[in-house]
Amino acid sequence: MNVPLTKGAVEALCKGLDVDKPVLQLLNIRQISNASGPPRFRLMMSDGQHSLTSCLLATQLNYLSDENLLVPNCVCLLKKTINNTLADGRRVVVVMEMDILKSAEEAGGKIGNPTPYNTDVSPVLARMGDRATYVNSPSLKPVNRHKGLTVKVSPMKASPMKANSASPGSSAKVIPIASLNPYQSKWTIRARVTNKSSIRTWSNSKGEGKLFSFEIVDESGEIRITAFNKEVDKFFSLVEQGKVYYISKATLKPANKQYTTLKNDYEMTLHAHSSIVPCDDNQSIPTVHCDFVPIAELENRDKDAIIDVIGICKSAEDVSRITTKNSREVSKRALSIIDQTGKVVTVTLWGEEAENFDGSTQPVVAIKGARLSDFGGRSLSALFSSTVMVNPDIPQAFRLRAWYDREGFAINSQSLTETRSAGTGLNVNWKTLSDIKNEDMGHGEKAQYFSCVATVLFIRKENCLYQACPSADCNKKVIDQQNGLYRCEKCNREFPNFKYRLLLSANLADFGDNQWVTCFQETAEALLGHSAETLGHLRDTDEAAFDEIFQKANFTTHIFKNRVKLETYNDESRVKVTVMEVQPVDHREYSRRLLQNIYKLAR
Amino acid sequence: MASLLDASKPRINGSMLSQHIGRGVCFVGRVEKVHPTGKTFSVSDGEGKSATVELNEPLEEELSGIVEVIGMVSSKGVITSTTYNILREDKGIPFDLELYNEALKVIHDFPQYYPFEVAASG
Repeated sequence: MNVPLTKGAVEALCKGLDVDKPVLQLLNIRQISNASGPPRFRLMMSDGQHSLTSCLLATQLNYLSDENLLVPNCVCLLKKTINNTLADGRRVVVVMEMDILKSAEEAGGKIGNPTPYNTDVSPVLARMGDRATYVNSPSLKPVNRHKGLTVKVSPMKASPMKANSASPGSSAKVIPIASLNPYQSKWTIRARVTNKSSIRTWSNSKGEGKLFSFEIVDESGEIRITAFNKEVDKFFSLVEQGKVYYISKATLKPANKQYTTLKNDYEMTLHAHSSIVPCDDNQSIPTVHCDFVPIAELENRDKDAIIDVIGICKSAEDVSRITTKNSREVSKRALSIIDQTGKVVTVTLWGEEAENFDGSTQPVVAIKGARLSDFGGRSLSALFSSTVMVNPDIPQAFRLRAWYDREGFAINSQSLTETRSAGTGLNVNWKTLSDIKNEDMGHGEKAQYFSCVATVLFIRKENCLYQACPSADCNKKVIDQQNGLYRCEKCNREFPNFKYRLLLSANLADFGDNQWVTCFQETAEALLGHSAETLGHLRDTDEAAFDEIFQKANFTTHIFKNRVKLETYNDESRVKVTVMEVQPVDHREYSRRLLQNIYKLAR
Repeated sequence: MASLLDASKPRINGSMLSQHIGRGVCFVGRVEKVHPTGKTFSVSDGEGKSATVELNEPLEEELSGIVEVIGMVSSKGVITSTTYNILREDKGIPFDLELYNEALKVIHDFPQYYPFEVAASG
């Protein structure tokens, strides 16, 4: 089915009228040579009757060309365009949003016989006359209206027009920040200042000067603005963070990514004719523009990347004061934040922000421009340039709050930051003994570690002790030479003595299951409450006392931290569990954990 | 008295007193005020609610800290105590009354998983 082209659309666009989603055919596409910054594409569009050559593709649509979707003769639907008038009166249509309705093959050739539309230049010039005089930019070349696009539309630097400071609301249309580019000079934007720097001065071989910069945001995006020397005096006190202004007439140039982390290909410099006027109507302008990264995603980002993040502050440590390498004292506070991905990450705040932070209400915390580090895996740190917002007035914050109150608070989250906190159980993998079999623990390539609360049922007395090499770091079993000497194969030496070492085989149990485990020296001594030497001695001297020690250990309950691994020995595979650490049960912590688990089950 | 000790004595807190009138209960709370006669004292539970305990014989010792009171709830919401235990603070792990209260709520919210009655009579 042939999709008809919107007849008369080209004529309307050339006259400066708005056309609602015209369907046009692409006749030609050409890349404009651009000194720096992203490539710029110029399009020749036809409505079957006329052709329009002064069409520019907004850079955000450059991908259409990269993916070879913009082939001559394809039919397109222009969903959003901006009609701009250049200083000399020519019109440029910038295509902001476009759909490809038909590919070139499907269109089957040029539709109709379009001729270039001749814009009547005189009425435009007449309008120009009473507004202002202007200096003819030397880079202007005459527009050649032949088909085939031999002309170049050169980037127009904002020519210093002696325009009267007309109130922006009346004549100029406000355009979105995202559509700013060096090719149009007459624009006004309305945005809020999100970040304002202090005045910085410099002094080098070329002289000295001062500058300040600020960042602005509107619904479409953000951009950085810098003012130098005289403009600093003019605008520094006028521009206030958080307020909304109409800004027009500034120089656009490709962004120097070294100095900014904003997502905009361009940045702006104010000049003598720039205008900044406060605006009262600011409901639609967001207070801040953030590109939040889900916490689970942080693992995939590179270290030192600047990230925006938002989450609920699950917990916050107390503020502490530390001394930096430069012997400066600074306050710091670490918070743990969680988001809908269920992952937690530690964020470090510094200075006054750290001191003033109150995490007791588990607020929503949003940070713009935090630095991702690989400390402890992944963690975030607020920089001097970061903006930390507590309970910000943005939709993501409300969504987070609702999610957390509903389910987020109960999640046993995995933190990306491995804090070394032995007793607090932040990252402890709690399991029950039946989980070992049910979850096939240890069957993977790597050993698994888990903690459990279990009771000792039985400890084997036979072969619980062995004679080991007395050398400091060697624990190898020594061979009794029967001549009063003991040989260690590892050290390749003979000794007149040995040291006793424990190697226990114990049976642990909980409500679900029981499990045979192995305990080496340290954990064995912890369970039995006596050293290997004492036990060795008792075994030879007082068997009753020796037995009693083992009896007393029965039915004692502890927290066991274990390592489980499937091991193969002579064609036989068995899951082996080794105790790494034995701790007394912290009843309060255990109770709290059980209560949490019950609440989770109850939901 | 013997029958009271045989029957199950559910653990309760202040807000559950009214539902157990005429029944034997076990109440754990912090001693607030001891009446000069020594025959009655008030306790507060993990939520802060108070209850009054009456004794058959006046107290012979100083009562302070957390106590576990076993007795019958009268129609006026007073616990007529048959016996009490002092959970000494200087021995063992300090008793966390708020945590105990949380556990109490769970036991009462899910009686099907905590069949104490069955255990007592069986």
